[in-house]
Amino acid sequence: MFKCTRLPASHSMRAAETGENGMRDGNVLDPGVANNAEAAKESADLGTELAERARAGDTEAFGELIERHRSRAKSWAERMTGDPHLADDIVQDALIRAFMHIGSLQDANRFLPWLHRIVRNQANMRLRRGGPHRREKPFASFEAREGGSVVWDNLDSILDHLTRSASKAAIKEDDPAEHLMRKEMYETIHSVLHCLTKKEREIFEAYFFKQLSPDEIAAMYGMTTGSIYTYIHRSRQKLRQEQIRVSLGLLPEKGGAILARNKRLQLAEWPAHAFVPTTMVDRLGHMLATMGDSRDIAELMGLSGFAFRMQISAKTTFADGIYMFDWRETLISFARDLGYETALVCGQLSDFPAPLLGAVEKFPVVLPIEEAVLPFIRQTIDSGRPVLYFDTSAARPFVHEWSLIFGYDDERRVVHLTDVMRPEGKTLSYEDVADNPVRFLAALTRQADRDQTASLPGTRDTRRKRLAEKSVRFAVSFAKNRSAYRPMTSYLSYATGLAAYDTWIGHLRRGPGSPPNRYGMGHLAHAYSRTKSCAAAYLRTVPFEGEAMRFALLASEAYEQAAEALRELEELTPFVKTSELMQTDLCERCAGLLEQARTFEASAIGYLEKTMTFLERGTSQ
Amino acid sequence: MSNAKSLKIMTEFQHLDNLMDAKASFEKAHPDVVITIEQAADHAESHRALQSDEAPDIVESGGWSIFNRKGLFVDLLPLVEETPGLKEDLNPGVMRVAGKDGTLPGLPVDVALPLILYKRELFDKAGLPYPREGWTWEEMIETAKKLTLRNERGVATQFGFGFGVDVEEIEPFVMRNGGRYVSADGTTARGYADQPAVIEAYRLLIDAYRVHRVIRRPGEPSEAGELHDGFALVFGFAWFAGAVVRYGLEDKYGVVGLPRMPGGENANMLYMGAAGISAKSPNRELAWAFLRHYVLERPEAFRHANTLPITKSLAERSGYTDNPVWRRFIEEMDVVQPSGFYLSERWNSSRQLINEEIIRMINEGADVAQTIRGWTRFA
Repeated sequence: MFKCTRLPASHSMRAAETGENGMRDGNVLDPGVANNAEAAKESADLGTELAERARAGDTEAFGELIERHRSRAKSWAERMTGDPHLADDIVQDALIRAFMHIGSLQDANRFLPWLHRIVRNQANMRLRRGGPHRREKPFASFEAREGGSVVWDNLDSILDHLTRSASKAAIKEDDPAEHLMRKEMYETIHSVLHCLTKKEREIFEAYFFKQLSPDEIAAMYGMTTGSIYTYIHRSRQKLRQEQIRVSLGLLPEKGGAILARNKRLQLAEWPAHAFVPTTMVDRLGHMLATMGDSRDIAELMGLSGFAFRMQISAKTTFADGIYMFDWRETLISFARDLGYETALVCGQLSDFPAPLLGAVEKFPVVLPIEEAVLPFIRQTIDSGRPVLYFDTSAARPFVHEWSLIFGYDDERRVVHLTDVMRPEGKTLSYEDVADNPVRFLAALTRQADRDQTASLPGTRDTRRKRLAEKSVRFAVSFAKNRSAYRPMTSYLSYATGLAAYDTWIGHLRRGPGSPPNRYGMGHLAHAYSRTKSCAAAYLRTVPFEGEAMRFALLASEAYEQAAEALRELEELTPFVKTSELMQTDLCERCAGLLEQARTFEASAIGYLEKTMTFLERGTSQ
Repeated sequence: MSNAKSLKIMTEFQHLDNLMDAKASFEKAHPDVVITIEQAADHAESHRALQSDEAPDIVESGGWSIFNRKGLFVDLLPLVEETPGLKEDLNPGVMRVAGKDGTLPGLPVDVALPLILYKRELFDKAGLPYPREGWTWEEMIETAKKLTLRNERGVATQFGFGFGVDVEEIEPFVMRNGGRYVSADGTTARGYADQPAVIEAYRLLIDAYRVHRVIRRPGEPSEAGELHDGFALVFGFAWFAGAVVRYGLEDKYGVVGLPRMPGGENANMLYMGAAGISAKSPNRELAWAFLRHYVLERPEAFRHANTLPITKSLAERSGYTDNPVWRRFIEEMDVVQPSGFYLSERWNSSRQLINEEIIRMINEGADVAQTIRGWTRFA
């Protein structure tokens, strides 16, 4: 489970860079740079933001967070144990526990003290294991100890703590970390009490929560004191087993009092005409609409830059270029532009060949276990938000597309999700979700300050204009960049922008001995004809004025003509699952249409350059 | 025409010329057979097709990943043994790498390995003798230093050694130093990737970038042109050699083995894909006949190739053993060993994460031993 949070090297590099500048932690500034208040605030903000994201289930953020704090955690453990090797083990254990319980952290600002406490508890536990009791300490021996710290994820230790007087336990109540831990402790115990019978539970609560003695409880129930001890002992045994199950994220044992849960969200209407084959954007649009934030799909395509993207594989007319971009960075950045923060769970499985290697090549290798994904799904759905999910089993002719998970059912062990070809939606088993060779799930949370800032006079218009300028700049730069996305995998390359047309045409004119891939042709024509239409529609709505707007409208017309040429291409090569080979004359007709589309798009880019010129001049004349 | 006489082939290769030629010649020799060819975009698509109810009879992949999956393919070893003379004819080095748990899930295709190709003209200009077999890493670096030229701004106009940054391409040097990334059964990198032989090989290589500056660092400005322009020694795979042969440059380039490392082992890597018969194919016999025809019986396929033939007879019939460049590549096939990416899918999937760390060692001076010891997490 922990492995899925392994930090991508690029993140490690960023963490190392901040380390070199003296910024070790998100919340604590190194004394040597205490005068650098701005940097400190930035670092603290980042630390808090990471903790917030990690709390929401974002494993990437958690990975980055622990990289920032790992060396500090090690120094704590080393100070306590005096043994660097033991300290390594303690930190590893502590981080696993932190990962499992990050959702219970109430205040993201207090991540560091919270982590400190976990490390300390792990160290205490390890040190005790080395003592006379080695693996486990009998419950009775806790009772003899006064004022010792509590091992919060050790049930015996918690129960011992409970048996001590409430006043003693309350001494530490002022400590926020202690407070959080106590809250977590009660949650932990309540989450496992269901495994007891009614009577066991009553006796357990009387002894541990109400602080009654076994004699008093025996009198209450008309039982012998010995039998009360037996009940308490048996309850402890059952609770310990259940705690292990819960901490591993497993479902309760059969017959447990907690029933398997299910929830299904009502998705907003998403008519067929709103659909765009760039499904990351399409599904985001549907997700936002479901969250009460409906947006025009052309606007989303424009703002995200996807209306202006086109990428063609250097190999042949495979459609994989559609998916070649930095998924994590693109989604996070686009969502932020829209006023949302993103929580991500991502990885690749090594047990199955992953598609789209060029996009997922730097995803950490993760294990095919349900516990790594289902808590994220449950938590997000429970909060009323769908989960963006990369589905590698999309119904044909699609192969793999983004979808929305909008429900889960623990009893049937299925999630409910959308599929382009199945308007009624479909289900996937929990195993299928865990076994998906590409793990990419995302949830959006509205930025805390968004509502306030959005309501300020003029803010919305200014922001809209700024984003429109950004997208036009992106359109021009992408069109002129021959290779905007370069995978590290050396045998994969993609032509981008206007150069993509040349590569595409080149594939069509390679001769009868090496025909283009017909299936991919259909997909590319289908996706990019709609893309260009969105570019045209978006440019009609950009909030520019004067000459800047005039040129934007001219660009819009040119994009519409490019879209028309690609629609003709789609008619020649419909998007269907096929293995037929394309004949030379068909290839030539397709190449001709692509040449037309290229000419129109080149004109569009020329107009957008003029738009930029006027925008940069700051004149609307 | 009955279904029994049709063959469905799925290929991951984008250029279909060779396969279509083989289809044409096979159909001509077997008029009752119809072959259909379908392209797959990647291993995932091939894998999905093999698991489906309409699995192709033959799947050809540019990598080995799907051939590592148990139960997807027919074991070809019994078929090899039934074919007179074939077992002895198959290159033992290639078979050593392609064999999986005592089985042969596919016939290797698109086979390549690396050697050093040197540009004679640049040696002549510098008055240096050409490299000779058995040369050492130290000698190679000394030579590369003399052949690295920088202008007054420090920008290289010629590099001594043309080499990329890839964990897989560094592996031959690791092997030759006596190291391995992962255990022979692929289950762990612990006790392998973190061993001194691996760390030493990496130290030598990183020094070549950082200390001797004979290899272009990632992102380093260069005026040395393409690999065939201003690079004196080229870590060249069969596809580089193929271009040398195709453009008739055999007199301009010499070929020599990889340098000896301190560990003293004579070993090299092998890249290959494979063509195998689906375990679900109802036409195994016909599929095997086509595979033999396609992979083993067509010397003409190597006329302008970038790959190596996998049988001795094919190497001779295709003229490889007579060609000065190809001959050395054929010899080298005797010493190839299974690489980490064949042995462990987990290691294979982590390739680019590891490459990012290699770049950190080269460009940022990240501690070599510490970085490499961390790689045990990748397998």
